[in-house]
Amino acid sequence: MIRMLLRVLGHRYAGPVRRTVALMTATAVVEGLSYALLVPVLRELFGSTPSDARPWLIAFGAAVAVYAALRYVSDLSGFRVGTTLLHGMYHRLGDHLARLPIGWYGAGRVGEVSVLASSGVLQAMSVIAHLLAPSISACVTPLTIVAVILAFNWQMGLAALAAVPLVAAVQLWTGRLTAATDAERAEHDQQAAGRVVEYLRAQPVLRAGGRSAERFQTLDDSLREVQRASRRTVLSTLPGVLGLTLTVQAAFTALLVLGAHLALGGDIGAAEVLAILVLAARCADPLLSLSDIGGQLHGARSELGRLDKVLRTEPLPEPGEPVRPSRHDLEFDAVTFRHGDRTVIDGVSLTVPQGRRLAVVGPSGAGKSTLLQLIARFYDVDGGAVRVGGVDVRDVDSAVLMEQIAIVFQDVYLFEGTIEENVRLGRPDADDAEVRAAATAARLDEVVERLPAGWATEVGEGGALLSGGERQRVSIARALLKDAPIVLLDEVTSALDPVNEAAVHDGIERLMAGRTVVMVAHRMRTVRRADRIAFLDGGRIAHEGDHEELLRSSARYADYWNISQTPV
Amino acid sequence: MAGLLLPYSGGFAAVVVLQVVGAVAGLAPLLAVVELGRVFLSSDPVDHDHVWTVVAVGAIGLFVRLVFQAASSGVGHVLDGRVQLSFRRRLAARLGRVPIGWLSARPRGELAKVVGEDVSAVHPFIAHAPGELISAFVVPLVSLVYLFTVDWRMTLITLIPVVLAVALVPLMMTPTRLREQAEFDTAMGRIANSVVEFVQGIAVVKAFGGAERAHRRFRTATDDFVTVFYRMVRGLSAVAAGMQVALSPPFVLLVVLVGGAVLVTDGGMAAADLLPFLLLGLGLTAPVAALGHGFDGLQAARRAVGRIREVLAVRPLPEPARPVAPRGHLVELRDVRFAYQDGHEVLRGIDLVLEPGTVTAVVGPSGSGKSTLVQLLPRFFDPTHGTVSLGGVDLREIGSRELYRNVSFVFQDVRLLRASVADNIALAVPDAGRDAVERAARRANIHDRILELPRGYDTVIGDEAGLSGGEAQRISIARALLAATPVLVLDEATAFADPQTEQAVRRALAPEGDRSVLVIAHRLETIADADTVVMLENGTVVERGDPSELLAQDGRFAAFWRSNQAAIADESEARGVPRGGEAR
Repeated sequence: MIRMLLRVLGHRYAGPVRRTVALMTATAVVEGLSYALLVPVLRELFGSTPSDARPWLIAFGAAVAVYAALRYVSDLSGFRVGTTLLHGMYHRLGDHLARLPIGWYGAGRVGEVSVLASSGVLQAMSVIAHLLAPSISACVTPLTIVAVILAFNWQMGLAALAAVPLVAAVQLWTGRLTAATDAERAEHDQQAAGRVVEYLRAQPVLRAGGRSAERFQTLDDSLREVQRASRRTVLSTLPGVLGLTLTVQAAFTALLVLGAHLALGGDIGAAEVLAILVLAARCADPLLSLSDIGGQLHGARSELGRLDKVLRTEPLPEPGEPVRPSRHDLEFDAVTFRHGDRTVIDGVSLTVPQGRRLAVVGPSGAGKSTLLQLIARFYDVDGGAVRVGGVDVRDVDSAVLMEQIAIVFQDVYLFEGTIEENVRLGRPDADDAEVRAAATAARLDEVVERLPAGWATEVGEGGALLSGGERQRVSIARALLKDAPIVLLDEVTSALDPVNEAAVHDGIERLMAGRTVVMVAHRMRTVRRADRIAFLDGGRIAHEGDHEELLRSSARYADYWNISQTPV
Repeated sequence: MAGLLLPYSGGFAAVVVLQVVGAVAGLAPLLAVVELGRVFLSSDPVDHDHVWTVVAVGAIGLFVRLVFQAASSGVGHVLDGRVQLSFRRRLAARLGRVPIGWLSARPRGELAKVVGEDVSAVHPFIAHAPGELISAFVVPLVSLVYLFTVDWRMTLITLIPVVLAVALVPLMMTPTRLREQAEFDTAMGRIANSVVEFVQGIAVVKAFGGAERAHRRFRTATDDFVTVFYRMVRGLSAVAAGMQVALSPPFVLLVVLVGGAVLVTDGGMAAADLLPFLLLGLGLTAPVAALGHGFDGLQAARRAVGRIREVLAVRPLPEPARPVAPRGHLVELRDVRFAYQDGHEVLRGIDLVLEPGTVTAVVGPSGSGKSTLVQLLPRFFDPTHGTVSLGGVDLREIGSRELYRNVSFVFQDVRLLRASVADNIALAVPDAGRDAVERAARRANIHDRILELPRGYDTVIGDEAGLSGGEAQRISIARALLAATPVLVLDEATAFADPQTEQAVRRALAPEGDRSVLVIAHRLETIADADTVVMLENGTVVERGDPSELLAQDGRFAAFWRSNQAAIADESEARGVPRGGEAR
């Protein structure tokens, strides 16, 4: 746990954490040792002259004062270190997220990372501030007390000592048990969540088919499965929790019996026995709290584990001696790319001379978008190479590579802010005239004129306040302003209605002029304008050539073309 | 909430009783030590049998505690499982009846979270809180009563640490602290916002060199948060640490021993009477600690319960008490208005009639209300004003089964079920034969693709095979073709359109018997082939009529038409035969 924590924190913060842990350990030891003074105090108080207890009481008071001071300091140190770590952790995570390949950010990641980077970090760091001290003292104080008992009476000391490995073993066993059933439970939870989402998404068709009840049944089955899994978790962790209680209580009972026996035999003074039993009771409480603390630590641990996983994801390696490409032609050289165990791109070789246009067509799922993403190095290839101007993209500094490329996606993401800010993102140092020119070329000026606040219109989070066509125009203006020599277009117009499509086409046409272009499109009329067309199927290039050549040579392509032309 | 839990009150009572009995029995071993002290410290000769009886009672007390607490925990968790199941069932049942429009307006993940995580978050509320909180108060109370019977002066002394700690509580509730708490929440919200931008927009961020900016925003947000957090912690931590020291066992023991020494020396208290205070006194701090800890979990649980109740409070689309059967299938919209939020109408007085056997194309710029309009027919929403009727009967008076026997739809957001391909196609017609299903699949251009799947029509979608967006769309077209309802609503989706899908859409649109079709048209051919075109702008119909007549009138529709031709012009040029670009 601590090891994982230190790894997540990185070396910089390991020192302060170790110091805090040391301070907390010292506090717990002092607490245990201070109890040693209970024995003489009680001996005198229970003896014939209770007033003799005074010097020992003063000593105990002094020990408690030392303990209190240490405790106060270590609590504060825990809070302070927790806060510093929070700060460091946020920065570390932020830096790391900025370096991870774009391909890593799949659909499911967005929610997960958002939660992780906001409250997840806080939860993980609260381990230090809240749980570290109790867990250290729950382990260290009882151990110290056992040593103290051993010093006063070897028989009872040995009995207490014998319980130590037992308690440790039971605690470990419980931990394993919980982890195993937790995994099972998490799986069922996830499955049920999947079913819920499916059920919700399918509501329109379910209701149309009058099959709500039937579908509800499969959802209900998986909800029941969740309940059964949680019941199994309870039943299987119960022995663990009980085991700890049972062990601790059995040890206490053994001490009680042994103490009674020794006292009856006259081997030990009554005051000592009573003092040792008081000490033993002091052992039992923190040990019993271990299972509680364990549960809380468990929650924090899973959060920590998620952080650890993200931080251990390797960013794409940056070249040691970056090369700056001087030309802007593109080349795929026997490129293979796998996603999981699926081969998405399978030995693709292609070239796009500088200033030419390549269109990629093919059935959905053929790997068209992936091809584009490999040029922008969202991922690294598994075999072969992608070259820009003859230079492998892996040898180009990532910032330099991005300078060369303007991408327009089907789904446009705009940042919260004004339209102008979003356009300016293309080239932050552009002057007003350049921004206006790009907007006019993208036919964004029409949109801006229509909007009440004009250029200062807020687009909302993700651009939600604009329509799809309007967002697309903003993104084209952004790309035009960037004025990059390579343009990548990913199904730019496919989600637009005809009016917007026409407008966007004009912008795209201006964007493509004089640049090296790779476009993914399904609208055959867009494709026809390309210099070359690659027909991609199952990650391979089935056919390649210009429109006329393909019509002649490829039956599949001709089918595509004809289907899109013929009436029913 | 209370109503939801009422059926389980017996279980809750059992949990509480078992927990309390167990916790009180846990005092037995401590009392045994006390009794041993009395025996050993008295001047009378020691009665061996009495000693062993006391030890036995102590051991039995421990055993009882073990058994009862185990039982309580077991019953509590089983109860928890049952309560959670019933919550989830209620939620699912409610979600199966809420207006589709309500569903589509919110992220599915959020609702899944309510059904999943939020219900789980109720766990401490049900499994732990009742037993643990109550025993955290009952046990100290029992101890306190016992201690008072031993020596009231000593009891008061033992309470000093608790009083000290409680005295510090108001320092944690000052207006400054409360303000800091509010600042904490806002700062956390800012982090969440910046991280969404950072993560969701990462592709754009990187592609446009905005990484620095988003990264900086995230950093600023986190730095601000840490500053707020630090201020809050600095204010709280001294008080909290002080409280911890006051409640710590060494301090409590010191207070008890000092007080005890004074009373034993000068107050005439028996030395043996000091023992119960040393052993039970520490337990008196439990409620204060419980107040601090237990409430964190409860707060989170309360927020979760709030979200659950919110969902349960959504009103389902009312089903008619006495359903009326539609007579024929003429669809009429009369002065239909609709608003998603008050004061922002998306549809503003639409009158529309769909004659049987006709195709009506809805066109207009995005945001004009097209999608909302067509979603009223399958009753995803009810209009806020006016009526939608089928065969002369208001949709609200037609039972939903009957409605869907008459209206089918193909929308952009296609969701297939985790069921066989055949089941997915035959969804609305469960008794359809395989022949009919295959015929529909063939017409929807998906038959060949289905045969390529591992088990053909029996392949379970999602488990055994995934389909692309275009393929899913063709399945949904096959579904509509098979259902062959007299009314079809179709969004001529373009998002996943590939040539095969486009062809399937065109087949679905082809005239067939007296079926009436309402289509959101994107392609000029569809518009040209329609019997009636309805031009929508800003939630109102600005023009309607035969497409070629409308073109001749040279109004809004004609302008719209021309602006589209530019985009499509080169298609006809490529074919050498002008078609598709002109209304026939």
